[in-house]
Amino acid sequence: MVRLTDLTPTQQEHLRTLDCPGFDTRPFVRGRALKARRIAVVTSAGLLKRGDPLFRGGDPGYRILPTDISPTNVLIGHISVNFDRTGFQEDWNVVLPLDRLRELAHDGVIGSVADWHYSFMGATDPRAMTATAAEVVERLKHDGVDAVLLTPV
Amino acid sequence: MCALAHYFEEAGIATATIVLVREHAERMRPPRALWVPFELGRPIASPNDAPFQRRVLTAALERLLVADRPGTIVDFPEEDPRRRPDGLWAPPVMVETDHLRGSSHAALAKCFLAEVVRLKPYHEQVLAQSGRTTVGLVGCPVPALADYVASFLTGDAPTGLVGNMSAALALRFAADDLKAYYLESALATGGRPSSRQLVNWFWDSTWGGAALLAARAMALASNDDRLRRIGERFLVPRARVPSGERAD
Repeated sequence: MVRLTDLTPTQQEHLRTLDCPGFDTRPFVRGRALKARRIAVVTSAGLLKRGDPLFRGGDPGYRILPTDISPTNVLIGHISVNFDRTGFQEDWNVVLPLDRLRELAHDGVIGSVADWHYSFMGATDPRAMTATAAEVVERLKHDGVDAVLLTPV
Repeated sequence: MCALAHYFEEAGIATATIVLVREHAERMRPPRALWVPFELGRPIASPNDAPFQRRVLTAALERLLVADRPGTIVDFPEEDPRRRPDGLWAPPVMVETDHLRGSSHAALAKCFLAEVVRLKPYHEQVLAQSGRTTVGLVGCPVPALADYVASFLTGDAPTGLVGNMSAALALRFAADDLKAYYLESALATGGRPSSRQLVNWFWDSTWGGAALLAARAMALASNDDRLRRIGERFLVPRARVPSGERAD
């Protein structure tokens, strides 16, 4: 697990004291049965298409990943070097589980997989992401997405 | 992630958040969270283990069905089976740790470049088998990336590799690409190595790891502010920084 005690003291301290914004509201959207839901993946792994502009530190932007993208055209461009990348290097589903989602859709567990998925770069103040998150919301809605799976690194 | 969950949910889109650091989810309380006992970088875990990954995803997505209180965190009960080392895995190349120490930078650069060449058939094998590589941030062939890093070691003033990318950024992303090249090559020998086996091999038993550690040292001694920052934070993981230099 990421039990903080598995990490070096400096890493523990960094993660323990990371500034996490609080929210005054507790939104909670109810919806259709899972087998009817259209699912998109949004990750903070700093994934990008081969040839996309690279993420910089504090970058609130996102990259768009079409659902039919070839796995070899998805790179990991997060600025941090302090998390494991070997899992993603071996199998993109470790971070961007599109193959697994397609199987779940095929088996009727979920309704469908979105046409587009998104990656932010998580080493960014979340408060700086409100505008770009709003952009992604509009894209998700245009794609008919009614549920998002969020994957961190 | 927790903040994005809040933003999306507030805008009317339901979210299921996979959480690696439980303390963060406890503070930010995303609407629906599945805490997974996996290492940073592996939210779905267990590469090429479709049944396991499917269980993780199903557990996360089933959070969408539950009408309990927002902010509830559920714990995934299984550990990542790939955390265990594979005793049968062997790396494609191996350098004795003693040989890595004490080399001049010129000798280190030469050995590093030769090692990159030795790994080429392994990397090609993995590429042929998987159809995939994550090398490509800089957009240059691997030999050019290796030459670039070697030039730092020999004290040659590097020039930007790609368009208007500064020397510091070029070093930073070349290092990422080279690490990917090495770690992907290491999968060619088969087996199911753990992440720890792979990164221990790279940093402790390859000229590539030694080269990046030396490049870091040179970057830290540079007059270029950007290069120093790159050396401080973006070449070598904190856990691999020589212990005398680490804050902890």
